[in-house]
Amino acid sequence: MISQVYKNGFKYAYRTSLLMITWVPVMIVMNEHICYVGKIEGSSMRPTLNPSSKASDWVLLWKWGIRSYNGIQVNDVVLFRSPTNPEKIYCKRVKGVQGDTILTRYPYPREQCHIPRNHLWVEGDNVHSIDSNTFGPISTGLVIGTATRIIFPFSRWMEIPNGGREARITKLDAFVD
Amino acid sequence: MEKAKFFGKVFSYVLRGGCAVHVLQSHFYEFTETRGESMLPTLAASNDYVYTSKRYKLGRGVEIGDCIVALKPTDPDQRVCKRITGMPGDIILIDPSMENKKDDKSKFDVDNKESFNKFIKVPEGHCWVTGDNLAHSLDSRTYNSLPLGLIKGKIIAANDFNQPFWGGERGNFWGFRKVSNNYIDDELEETIVPTIAS
Repeated sequence: MISQVYKNGFKYAYRTSLLMITWVPVMIVMNEHICYVGKIEGSSMRPTLNPSSKASDWVLLWKWGIRSYNGIQVNDVVLFRSPTNPEKIYCKRVKGVQGDTILTRYPYPREQCHIPRNHLWVEGDNVHSIDSNTFGPISTGLVIGTATRIIFPFSRWMEIPNGGREARITKLDAFVD
Repeated sequence: MEKAKFFGKVFSYVLRGGCAVHVLQSHFYEFTETRGESMLPTLAASNDYVYTSKRYKLGRGVEIGDCIVALKPTDPDQRVCKRITGMPGDIILIDPSMENKKDDKSKFDVDNKESFNKFIKVPEGHCWVTGDNLAHSLDSRTYNSLPLGLIKGKIIAANDFNQPFWGGERGNFWGFRKVSNNYIDDELEETIVPTIAS
């Protein structure tokens, strides 16, 4: 009698674990194509993200629709694979999309840069950051997702505010006039 | 009610099956069609199917001479299939054929030709890719070096469905053949050849 109960228990556990394994690929695909979380490390997005070096921020990474037209817009915060080392993931703010002309900053060899088709100009909110001024415009194919909201230290639960500078020549001209 | 339950079950199976196949294709192994003339002697222009190993995605362990599948930097919706002809740090002569059509006079005056003197050093984390059919290929000569992060996999074999099932000129089983690394290191050969001669 008891052995029968054990047998059914094992059978139940076996069946349930098998059932759960079949849902693992579904979860992987959702994390790859719809949304995921990301931990922000480093100081390049200060003061927007990681305002103090004590605790890291966790952000909600939205991946659905970033490949569509206007899927990534200026002032979005994006996570992308570094063009100089594909194993590294950088978090920066988009400062220009395809067709924009950018007024660059110090390490960049030229004063202005025209963004090619399907490329982005990304910069950290902090001036001390390794960004497009070092490695140039990045292809949108390297983008993993847009960070839309800070989720982890619950005290900092909010949408990611605007930050950084205006880099597009056209907007800067309008500002001067 | 019965019907709803049935459709729910079917949907659940389709979802799980589809996702499993997708994970398999994006992380382990893919068998897919290629089109276009850019890799012509190696891969046919149409109806050629390639076996892609995803172990090499993000350029993990790729070498010069490997055939790779990558996202096109200027249009990430498209995938391109090219051969790596330069790794980080290599110095590349961009395209000596550029000027041949423009002026026939200076054809043999190599030193003065601009296109023979245009070199580029492949930056860190990038590679230089070209098609095997240089005359009909849109590659690094146009969109500059390719970030390794855009590499999706390495082509290891191909099937040509233009060929007969057995006994075709490219091999048996629908022209099955391995796509291998065809890079020849000149420096290495020079050192090996004299030792054989003596």
